[in-house]
Amino acid sequence: MILVSALTIAVLFGVGSYLLLQRDLIRVVVGIILVSNAANLFLISAGLSRGQAPIYPLEEGVEVSDPLVQAMTLTAIVIAFGISALLMSLVYRVYTSHLSLNLEDISEAEVREEESIESREVAED
Amino acid sequence: MRPRLAAPVGAVFAALAFAATLWGWLLAGGGTVDLPWAPSWDLRFTLALDGLAALYSLLATGIGFAVTVYASRYLPLHLEHQGRSEADIPRFHFFILMFMGSMVGLVMAQDLILIFVFWDLTAIASYYLIGYDAHERDSRRSALMALLVTGITAVCLLIGALMLYAAYGTFSLPALIEASEPGALLAAAGALIAVAGLAKSAQVPFQFWLPRAMAAPTPVSAYLHSAAMVAAGVFLLGRFYPLIQKTDWLLDALLVVGLGSMAVGGILALTRNVLKQLLAYSTISQYGYVVFMFGLGGEYGAVGASFYVIAHALAKAALFLTAGAVTEATHGETRLSHLGGLRRELPFLMVASGFSAAGLAALPLTIGFFKDELFFEAALERGGVFPALAVAGAVLTFAYTWRFWSGIFLGERRSEAHGVPAAMTVPVAALGALVIAGGLYVAPFARLAQAAGEVTFNAPTPIDPAYHLDARAENLMALATYALGVLVILSRSFWIGAAEAFARLGELAGPERLYFASLKGLNAFSDRIHDLEVRDLRTRVATILGPTGVLVGAGLLFTPTRGAYEVGAIGPLDWPLFLALILVAVAAIATVFPRRHLTLALVLSSVGYILAVVFAFFGGPDVAMVQVLVETIMALLFIGILVLLPRKVLEREASNPIPRRRKVRDAGVALIAGFFAFAVSWSTLSQPALEESVAQEHIRLAPEAHAKDVVTAILADFRGLDTLGEITVVGIALLGIATLLSRGRLW
Repeated sequence: MILVSALTIAVLFGVGSYLLLQRDLIRVVVGIILVSNAANLFLISAGLSRGQAPIYPLEEGVEVSDPLVQAMTLTAIVIAFGISALLMSLVYRVYTSHLSLNLEDISEAEVREEESIESREVAED
Repeated sequence: MRPRLAAPVGAVFAALAFAATLWGWLLAGGGTVDLPWAPSWDLRFTLALDGLAALYSLLATGIGFAVTVYASRYLPLHLEHQGRSEADIPRFHFFILMFMGSMVGLVMAQDLILIFVFWDLTAIASYYLIGYDAHERDSRRSALMALLVTGITAVCLLIGALMLYAAYGTFSLPALIEASEPGALLAAAGALIAVAGLAKSAQVPFQFWLPRAMAAPTPVSAYLHSAAMVAAGVFLLGRFYPLIQKTDWLLDALLVVGLGSMAVGGILALTRNVLKQLLAYSTISQYGYVVFMFGLGGEYGAVGASFYVIAHALAKAALFLTAGAVTEATHGETRLSHLGGLRRELPFLMVASGFSAAGLAALPLTIGFFKDELFFEAALERGGVFPALAVAGAVLTFAYTWRFWSGIFLGERRSEAHGVPAAMTVPVAALGALVIAGGLYVAPFARLAQAAGEVTFNAPTPIDPAYHLDARAENLMALATYALGVLVILSRSFWIGAAEAFARLGELAGPERLYFASLKGLNAFSDRIHDLEVRDLRTRVATILGPTGVLVGAGLLFTPTRGAYEVGAIGPLDWPLFLALILVAVAAIATVFPRRHLTLALVLSSVGYILAVVFAFFGGPDVAMVQVLVETIMALLFIGILVLLPRKVLEREASNPIPRRRKVRDAGVALIAGFFAFAVSWSTLSQPALEESVAQEHIRLAPEAHAKDVVTAILADFRGLDTLGEITVVGIALLGIATLLSRGRLW
């Protein structure tokens, strides 16, 4: 079971980083969501015990699932959701100012802008 | 609120502070405040109004008062010339008061860390004041230079303080003075602290920042030079003198630095054409005297240094204010070569500043006479070549002071001039009157200097300056100074070429070159790193993931592997979980392939939903439910954003072919990342479970928290602060999203 969990986490993380490296900003966001999914899965499978849900009344003699990692995973899920939503709106904002979703276009525009600032500074000197 | 109101408010506060200090010193006889500040770190908030503190805080508040009165008229005119609005006035007064407050705090602090904090506060205030004309490049650069030179050397002070703490276990200065023993550690700590003090008082080789700081408005320069900042440097030497004087070579080093500053400052002051530049170099040389006296050692040195600071502060503040008034009167003329003959237009200013100039030149009947008397006495006490060097320094002072004053008021008229407002001459006259008063009745000033000298010397110093009408050595040295000074003034054409060559040599090979070279080098280095890191988002990700991967890899390599990895058993009930995990992996891999964004969003949602199933099989119904909820909203959000984006743009991205080489490279990176994630999570998950865990305690206590669900009890009760943090994050994210979607205008 440990091996399978670890492999699944690895696949989520690996695919996430593959998408992170793409030029399409929406795929970058998807990559981040996958990486945070990997983190959530890692958290929950790091629980010290696995068994029935930690909700009273508890059945005697049966192991109870670790409630602490569940609480932490819950927090992590919500935060990851907030971050992803923020990222999505950032992507939208980037689109409205650059009219493109492609990283290469955007970094070219950035370089152009920086060069124009530098040349202005040189002119000031 | 009218901006001009800032001036009276500032002046009133400065006057009140001055009155309070005077009252505290004369009537209350000093006092101490001692509060625990951070007891676990042995830090105490200790302030004491001793002689040294009284001297410097009277200067800081008194001259601060004169400067704010002067600025009440000067600043509106200054802003008007530059076409700026009066809204900038309060900023000036705010930082002057902050400067004053941190100065007063610095001189009263008795705890090393407290001293460091106030020390840096003065640097911050001076940064904003020197860079007050922020639209001018020169002004910004000068402010940065002052901040860097004094700020970097301030770290030396901190290191020195920590060394002392490590050795003696206390930050309290009085306790350290008692406990410390001469030795290599005390010498090193003392040297570091002295470096901080010397850099702040612009001594050789740190002198270059001070003339640059003349970019500030004149009241700032006057204040900076006489009562704050530069004075703080010699104050620090005086405060730590009981520690410094335990090391002989440190005193010798102070002698050398002081002499160097006297020479460099004096000679360059004779060559400068711009009024404020002349005064700046004069300040360097004058504080050189003070450092020199500290280096001479002995009680004359300690009292003499304190007295010198008073006399110099009064005279120098007045001369700076004179320079500002003259520039104002002549429509912005700052060059000595274009000034002259203003005796008819500014007769009152001429007399008022004449008193101060006489004080700086150490003529009899001024307070300045006694500063030189003590200076000569200290040199005589030491003997050797030092009396001759002292006379040489005093001759330079005499010559450049004459050059300043006569260059403005005597000789031919070279520029148009008009009168200046009374608020700009009265402070000069008041300071001039004090210079004369000190010459006629020196006792109060001498008493103050004595009290300060006692603190510096850490022993009683029964020294009284007075006039002696006989042929004693000090008087002969003073006479020699006047005679040689006149000679230097008259023979200007003989030595001016050599002096200017010396100035040029300093420009070519001085420490300022080193400053600019290191600034340039550091800038280039940081640009290099910057370019490497932030070329685009991908390089940024790479600069985080790459080093992290190396670190993780090294960690894996050097960790013992025996028994660290376990395959783990699969019980009969585990098969559903097993299948769900496989499905998550398959769905995740599937996100790589879709080209259209909508399909991508749907595949991503399927990963999330199956993950919810996994969570449920892990025994966490709460987590599963939240995951379903979040996943649903996420899918809606995704589709919402896709609707907002034009179809054309999305299609362009979807049909944009990825070159094969890049695909292979990205896949390689992803494989490595996945491998590391696998190794880390496998080894972590293989750790055997502990017998006892916090979770068991949580399960046991949940009913007492009136909760049936242990997870909710943890979230809302046991670890409620975590949840508060989580809510804050979501709130901030929400604010961010709302701002972004409404194009930066939330309200």
